[in-house]
Amino acid sequence: MADDPRRPDEAADRFDDYLEALLGAGRPSPESVAGRDEAEMARLAAELAASAAASDETSPDPAFLEQLRRRMREADAGIAAIREPLPIRERPSVEPAGRRRWRLSRRELLQAGIGAAAGLAAGVVGVSLRPTGEAPPAAGDGDTPLVAGEGFWTEVATVADVPEGSAIRFSTAAFDGYVVNDGGEIRALSSVCTHMGCTLRFRPDWRDLRCPCHGASFDLQGRLANSRGRWRSDGAYSGDAEAYPVNLPDLVRPRVKVEDERVWVWTAQV
Amino acid sequence: MSTDPGPFERVYDAHVVGIYRFIYARVGNRPDAEDLTAQVFVRAVEQLDTERAPGQVAAWLYRVAQNATADYWRAFYRLPVIGVDHVAPGWEPVDDAGARPRSEPDDGAARRVGALLQRLPEQYRRVLELRFLERLSVAETARAMGISNGNARVLQYRALRRAALIGESADG
Repeated sequence: MADDPRRPDEAADRFDDYLEALLGAGRPSPESVAGRDEAEMARLAAELAASAAASDETSPDPAFLEQLRRRMREADAGIAAIREPLPIRERPSVEPAGRRRWRLSRRELLQAGIGAAAGLAAGVVGVSLRPTGEAPPAAGDGDTPLVAGEGFWTEVATVADVPEGSAIRFSTAAFDGYVVNDGGEIRALSSVCTHMGCTLRFRPDWRDLRCPCHGASFDLQGRLANSRGRWRSDGAYSGDAEAYPVNLPDLVRPRVKVEDERVWVWTAQV
Repeated sequence: MSTDPGPFERVYDAHVVGIYRFIYARVGNRPDAEDLTAQVFVRAVEQLDTERAPGQVAAWLYRVAQNATADYWRAFYRLPVIGVDHVAPGWEPVDDAGARPRSEPDDGAARRVGALLQRLPEQYRRVLELRFLERLSVAETARAMGISNGNARVLQYRALRRAALIGESADG
């Protein structure tokens, strides 16, 4: 861990930016810290600063606590409203407090199958990258619903972009989704939760698509993974603390094809 | 809207200060401690089962807080920050006695840091005491030690580097 003999002070000056932020009112940034050694130093500095801090420094700001409490209360009320078993296919008679109108109409669109636009075409639901010698699954093999429509193939990723166990987001004119590589099979799924239209997040450790709004988890076939039914039959879903209380429609899965190491998705004409 | 705090708010009231202090001890500054505390409870709103036993609720919260601070430091080490989503801690089938929250007062951390300082050479310990314990600016520290500002910055850098080295070999 020798100093650079030319400029020991440059590193020291830059690192001091970190310390000034840590010890002052700023927010310390990883940018002022270069390399693993400095990261160790930064962490030690943070612990040193904390252990030496006066008690009013280590206590949370009451204004912060109050603001966070309010935020929690609102979020909790919103989630509690959703956890009542809602008849998914009917329009709710009372709009839950705090919901913006556009979310409801987007949800209705999803249920009508119009919001996500994918088409039937030459192509398959999932493309295996492994030479299995088997025919790929044909269209509509009891899989999740696809919506017919005028459309075309759009290139959304290269195969190299999606190593096994990973996913990437894409957006076409008509569709927001993920391309996933599930055990060698390339698939595309909608990234829009079929509950209230929130954007799902891919979780590589659980290989699912997780909704940050109310905790729905969809497996890479687009089916709700933590539903009550599956919780009972398959056992508790390891990616969640509890079952999702409502049955949700499956995620739409547009057709994909792989050509020349590129992934194409069938997307609707808009 | 009912004014009676629901079960979640009771959990919040019971634990927010402890969680904040736990995080603060690991990040050393208020803005980041506030951010990470908010992160923990936002997750809890979505995922915490408040009907679990109190010991398990606490253990869950502290596990999330631990993971959040680990991710925070990953950014400094330029390691891939997997993101808070990966940490959804499952409910391990522990009994209440086993689910001890990691909320014990961080005397251990303070002692360790104190021991580290004692092992430093005189000048290194002095500069860190002035900067961290007495919270002097670089200029004030330099004046107190009779050196230039630039030297003070180099000295604090080397002091922390030495302390980190000692800390590492102690753990290793």
